[in-house]
Amino acid sequence: MNLAFHDVRHHFGRFAATSAVVGLLFTVVLAMAGIYQGLVDDATVLLDRMHADLWVVQRGTRGPFADPSRLDPSFELRAASVPGVVSAWAFTTQVLQRDHGEQQLRFALVGLAFPDDRGEELFVTQGRPIVQAHGELIADASLGVAVGEVLHLGRDDYRVVGLTKQVLASGGDAVVFATVADTQRIVNDDSSDALIAERERRLARLQATDLGRGQPALGDLAVDPRWTFPALPSPPIQAVLVRTAPARLNEVRRAFAGWSDVSVWTRAEEEQLVLQGMVAKARMQLGVFAAILIVSSSLLLAAVLYNLTLEKAHDIAVLKLLGARATRIAALVLEQAWATAILGYGIALALGSQAFPHFPRRVVLTETSVLGLGLLLFLVSTLASVAGVIYALRIDPGPVLES
Amino acid sequence: MEALRAAHLDKSYGEGETEVHALRDIELTLNAGEVVALLGPSGSGKSTLIKVLGLVTPADRGDLWMNGKRIVDDGQLLADVGELRRSHIGFVFQKANLIPFLNARRNVELACEIGERFPARARARELLDYLGVEHRASAYPSTLSGGEQQRIAIARALANRPSLILADEPTAALDKERGRAVMDLLRRVAHEQGTAVVVVTHDHRSLDVFDALYQMEDGRLTASSTRPPPETR
Repeated sequence: MNLAFHDVRHHFGRFAATSAVVGLLFTVVLAMAGIYQGLVDDATVLLDRMHADLWVVQRGTRGPFADPSRLDPSFELRAASVPGVVSAWAFTTQVLQRDHGEQQLRFALVGLAFPDDRGEELFVTQGRPIVQAHGELIADASLGVAVGEVLHLGRDDYRVVGLTKQVLASGGDAVVFATVADTQRIVNDDSSDALIAERERRLARLQATDLGRGQPALGDLAVDPRWTFPALPSPPIQAVLVRTAPARLNEVRRAFAGWSDVSVWTRAEEEQLVLQGMVAKARMQLGVFAAILIVSSSLLLAAVLYNLTLEKAHDIAVLKLLGARATRIAALVLEQAWATAILGYGIALALGSQAFPHFPRRVVLTETSVLGLGLLLFLVSTLASVAGVIYALRIDPGPVLES
Repeated sequence: MEALRAAHLDKSYGEGETEVHALRDIELTLNAGEVVALLGPSGSGKSTLIKVLGLVTPADRGDLWMNGKRIVDDGQLLADVGELRRSHIGFVFQKANLIPFLNARRNVELACEIGERFPARARARELLDYLGVEHRASAYPSTLSGGEQQRIAIARALANRPSLILADEPTAALDKERGRAVMDLLRRVAHEQGTAVVVVTHDHRSLDVFDALYQMEDGRLTASSTRPPPETR
């Protein structure tokens, strides 16, 4: 006869309530572990989706995520000419917050090197990659926009043609992809007044020089909106990403390292820069909080399970007077604790899978965290039960005779 | 046949000035099928004697035999307590102390399973039938009357056909009529099953069911009156 089963069945309401409390408690533990993992994943997901072997950035910086980096767009062609480079493309990223109807959309705008990169490797889950040089976007579904929806950014309308799933920036914002040209257009879009003011400042600067005063026609060109002043730089990009031929990574890297105007990082180094730099403190804080939560939840669970044993002291004393072996008494305590832990675990997983997708930040449940929680519950329930069993086996059955 | 013999049992609690002699040189012999009462005022040592005989509390000194086999030698236990409780000793308490999450039948089956001597289900059914409570087999303790609970408790005590039943005021929580019924039941069990029964009681209205009455006072068995053998009464 399985005493634990009969006890659970007879007191099912109490058992279910206890398990529900355990489940809720460990849902929070699971959420913390998931938020921690989500932070790490969010910080590195863009690195993964870019499929680059090398990240070439401004000399002396740890950009583009951990540190601001500015490169001239022409560097893309210089990089592509290095032997061993299969492809090189510009990378731009900028976090924007723009109005869309009555909503405010906050997102990281990332450039795709169209037409070489149309976003095919972003794993578009709905819609399609970008096929036009201008006016198309791929957005993460967490932004809350649909395929076909039009966003007015800068001076132009952009149509959402594809959706990705859980491609987020390190701050948890959705990533929106456009061609590099479009991203520059959106990011560097200035109002008419600002443009006019800039032209006037440009003219004033020119006229302050002998060259400007000596050649008045230059002043006409400086304020002509149809003409780009060759002395002015193009808007900078933040990095150039490089894919190398197989087995030539080190060779290409050495080549870039020899250039005086750039720094070069491998994919793994770039990930470390992100994790040890920009999200390190957040990770540490979440990690410490998760650890405190795990310890306190474990102690609470142990106390709950130990109390369940204390409540059975009288029944255990009766069992001892009947001559029950220690294994039967231990089984009663252990099996009930395990049943509570298993149901609590199930509740935590079920609740988590329903609730976590609605959290404002991404909660990533890995096999390790899910199995780790199960193992933790098993260990805590077993240890608490062992303490309960030790107590149970020391119960003096004498008082039962007098009750 | 001798079911139980106790010789020179002593038991004290505390030390020095606070020492209390709960049992002093107890001599007691019980035969199979004999029902005896332990009488005496509160604090006289009745419950302590029951605990020592049931191996719940160890004696400081003295010897104990069960079914002719020495199990305690000068206060030292010679046998496995669990094994003795499983196969030779049954307890009936003031309250029934049934396991609350098991129904009546399963309470008896549990004792059978622990004893490992009889097929649990069949033995439980047989005992519940024998004690007249088979119709309450599926009922949980909280829904049983006090008298029914004590019958189930007696069935549980009998589960492994023990040679000795120790009952500590089994009728204390029952009214007069149900108390009498329980005493009659214990007597019937003793005589029909050949079980020796020791009952601690304050209930002087049921003394006629006992084969012998022992009086306890200050830890001593001070008097006994032996009644005629049951078959001649």
